[in-house]
Parts: sequence; structure tokens; C-alpha cells
Amino acid sequence: VKKVVAVSLGVLTAIGGFVDIGDLVANAEVGARFGFSLAWVVVVGVIGICLFAEMAGRVAAVSTRPVFDLVRERLGARAALANLVASSFVNFLTLAAEVAGIALALQLATSVSYLLWIPFTALAVWLVIWRVRFETMERIFGLAGLSLVAFAVAFWRLGPDWGSVIHAATHPVVPSGEGHPTYLFFAVSLFGAAMTPYEVFFFSSGAVEEGWTPRDLNVNRANVLVGFPLGGFLSLAIMGTTALVLAPRHIGVANLAQVALPSVLALGKVGLAFLLVGFFAATFGAALETSLSSGYIISQFFGWQWGKRVRPVDAPRFHAVVLISVVLATMLVLTSIDPIKVTEYSLVLSALALPLTYFPILVIANDPDYMGERTNSRLGNALASVFLVVVLVASAAAIPLMIATKAGQ
Amino acid sequence: VNGAPAAGSAAGSSAPVRRIDAALGLLDRQLVDCDGRLAGKVDDLELTRPDGPGDGPPVVTAVLAGPGALAHRLGGHAGRWLESVHARLHPSSEPGPARVPFGVVKCIGSAVELTVAKRDLGLTRFEDWVRDHLVGRIPGARRAPE
Repeated sequence: VKKVVAVSLGVLTAIGGFVDIGDLVANAEVGARFGFSLAWVVVVGVIGICLFAEMAGRVAAVSTRPVFDLVRERLGARAALANLVASSFVNFLTLAAEVAGIALALQLATSVSYLLWIPFTALAVWLVIWRVRFETMERIFGLAGLSLVAFAVAFWRLGPDWGSVIHAATHPVVPSGEGHPTYLFFAVSLFGAAMTPYEVFFFSSGAVEEGWTPRDLNVNRANVLVGFPLGGFLSLAIMGTTALVLAPRHIGVANLAQVALPSVLALGKVGLAFLLVGFFAATFGAALETSLSSGYIISQFFGWQWGKRVRPVDAPRFHAVVLISVVLATMLVLTSIDPIKVTEYSLVLSALALPLTYFPILVIANDPDYMGERTNSRLGNALASVFLVVVLVASAAAIPLMIATKAGQ
Repeated sequence: VNGAPAAGSAAGSSAPVRRIDAALGLLDRQLVDCDGRLAGKVDDLELTRPDGPGDGPPVVTAVLAGPGALAHRLGGHAGRWLESVHARLHPSSEPGPARVPFGVVKCIGSAVELTVAKRDLGLTRFEDWVRDHLVGRIPGARRAPE
């Protein structure tokens, strides 16, 4: 049990990053429209985030410096400010969508309109941050999010022809009726979703909150190798269920109920109960992750005291940023803006800001001033450099593809 | 002073002299005070020409921190905006940046550690205001973390 608990930071980070409200719908939509032909992007994304999250966690364990300290230190004040503005905007949009996402999960369970739930969900998110210990928080929401494994059970129960699934996933073809730009647009958004910067902000700051030292490097590796592949596995399971059930019938996905539909067909009421718990925990976890990340990165840019390991009166500006983020995000979704559209746009914007976060991590992970003897291996550097190129390409392609495809319509 | 890459000398007196590139190894690092509290960033450095015969290279005499120093580093619209906000909220009419004399720097690593508390450096005005007017008024703000 102790080992399960030790990886809860990685699990919560990955669930918040891979299966938050936007990803739940995006994965299901991709499955319904493109079958298995974009599954490879999730695998590539998982490898990328594992590489960089491991570095960020290692830097945090060895030097106690979280990611935005590195960004500020390597990019200087001006470029770091540009990253701060972009990343805060992505955080804010995602947080808004998650607050609505929790409410949408409750709407699915109770049939009470999500707009009525929003004030209560926002208050609950803030109260958890204000009162609940960091480790308790990550354990509850990380582990409860695991009930999304129901998607994998459903996929298995739907009895796919494994041979043809593997063939379709390894020989990707753009389905008829979809253009290449649309295919690439969804590839970039899935990649952006896998590598969203708030994952490394949260993961490295969480490592500092938990007080990791160089003795915890194994814990770091275990968190990365369990958490992110698990997140990727859940994304693929969601994609798989809609690819099997909805794609052959040409049914699109636009809301949370349709995400659950194939699994409910396979598993019945019990499956639905698990999914509802999972939706709630995953969106709630992502709301915690993004609101804390807003506080983390703004505080770390200015050098303010941050974190839940000190009394709130000792980190007042950090708690003020978190509180104000939650209030503003709530106001945004109360305008009845479509929360799923909001995250879809935020994914593309996050792809745009990726290089400004991942480049400094790679540089510092090679700096003996910070790392002593624990700098990157040559293989790690080679892989990370390749990924940095991929990140740059995705970043450059994000906006043109969004405009060319009208955001994938 | 705008972050010129001058070579500052390390503070350690007993240890062998370690050369630090001021722009790479000092600027933009985290300040940590004597209680382990995060106290701001090395937003800028104050360089002074030593007096006396034979103009030596400038010496780092202080770390400048806070919005007054950061505004100059940022420059452009963002810098001007930050500077005007800082000036408007500051009690004195022409506020300079907060100055941390280089003598209180204990060591320079991945963070810059100080030998004094941040309260004594005049770095906590904004923090105090947010505590007194917002966060400190919420029930539970003084509860010690478990």
C-alpha cells in the first residue's frame, strides 16, 4: 500500500493532464471520427511527457527548484514573463473548463443543470486547496480517478478483433471524409494535451511540497513511469471504446454523456457508476492541478513564498492568486460558454507555449551547478532533443492548423 | 545597471575563490532568507566602481529585488506599467528598488541564501498588505500545516 501511495503525485498529475474534461471529450471524439488512426500520437506524447517530467522531478529533488524557477532563471525576466502570461492563460481556461466539467459530471448523475452546480463545485475546489493537506488531496483524487479504468474494461468487454485494432493503430490512414489538415490538427491537440505545461508545473512543485531529496529519485522515476503511461492508457481506452461503437455508425461526440455511451452499452449501470465517480475525480483533480499551478507559476516567477507546506498567512500572495483564479474561472463558465470548446482551444494554445517551458528544463537538467553528478544521460539528452524538435514543430503548426480547419470542424 | 554580464566575486571567504558569471549564475535566482522563507528574486544587481587609484572593474554591491528592479529588466510596455503601479502604490514619492546589501549573501547555489530575515530587508510590503486585507481574514489562515 505504501508503494501505491508513493506514486499518487504522478497518478494525479497524469489524470489531470490526460483525462480532464477536455481530454475526455477530445479522446472520445478522436475515436469516433478517426478510429485508431491517431492512437500513435498518445504513445508519442506519453514518451515525451515522461522524459521531461522525469527531468523536472529530478531537478526538484536535487535542487528543490520547481519548473518556473528554471524558466525564469534560464530565459530571463522578459521571455519568462511571456511564458508566464501564455501559461497562466492556458491554466485559467483549463481551470474554467474543469469547474464546469465537475458540474457536468454531477449533471449526468443528478439531471440538475450544470450551471446550478458550478458555484458549489468552485467553492468545493477552493475549500479542498485551503484545508486539505497536499498528500491527502493527491491520494483521494488520484486514486478515485482510477475508476476510469472502467473504460479499459468496457473496451475489453466490447470484444474487439485485436488483430485489426493493432493493424489500424500501427498503419494509420486518414479516414475518408476527413481532410489531412483536420487529422493533423487533432494530432497536434492530442500531443498538446499529453504535454500540457501545467503537468510539469504541478509535478515539480508537488515534489517540492512533498520535500523530495536526492534519495527520492527512485520515487520520482516510479511516479513518472506509473502515472503518465497510466494516463495515456486511459486516453487510449476512451478512444478505443468510441472507435469500436460510434465510428462504424458515424456518430460524433459532443458531450460527456456520449463519451460514456459505449462503455455503458458494454458494462451497464455498474459501469456508469464507475465512470461517474471517475469523471468527478478526474475533473476535480484537474481543477486542483490547474488552480494550484496558477499560484505556483506566478509565485515562482516573482519569487514569492508559495505552497501548502507553510501556513496560508505565510504565503498570502500564493493563496490570493489561487482564490482569484478560481473566482474568475467560475465567472467565465457561468456565462454559459461551452466548457468543452474552452478546453479545446486551450489545448491548442498550450501547444503554442510548450517550447518556452521544456527548453529550460532540458538546459538545467544538464547544469552541474544545479544537478551535481545527476545531470542527464547522453541517451536522455538525445531523446529529449528530438522531442524538443517535435514540440517546436507542433508549436509552430498549432495556430495555422486551427485557422485552416476552423478548429477541427 | 541592467544585468551586464560582469564577473562578480563569490562571497565565500574561507573557501577557494569560485568564479560566477553574474548574468548566468546570479541574476533571476531565488532569494531565500535565514528562516528558509522565499524572499523574492535577484531581479537586478547594483554594480559600483571602486574608489581609489587605478579604476578596477565594477564590484557587485547589492542585489536589487522587487517590482522596482524588475520593471527596469522587463522594459517596454510591461516594464513601464509595472513601474507606474509600483510608484503609485508605494508610500514614498520616488521609490527605488529594494536593496539587499551583498554582505548579507550567505551562499550562491541554485538559490541565493541570505543571513537576514526578509522582514528586515523591506521586501514584504505587498505580502503584508495581501495578508492583512485578504488572506489573513479568511478563517483557518493561521492553522499550521500538519
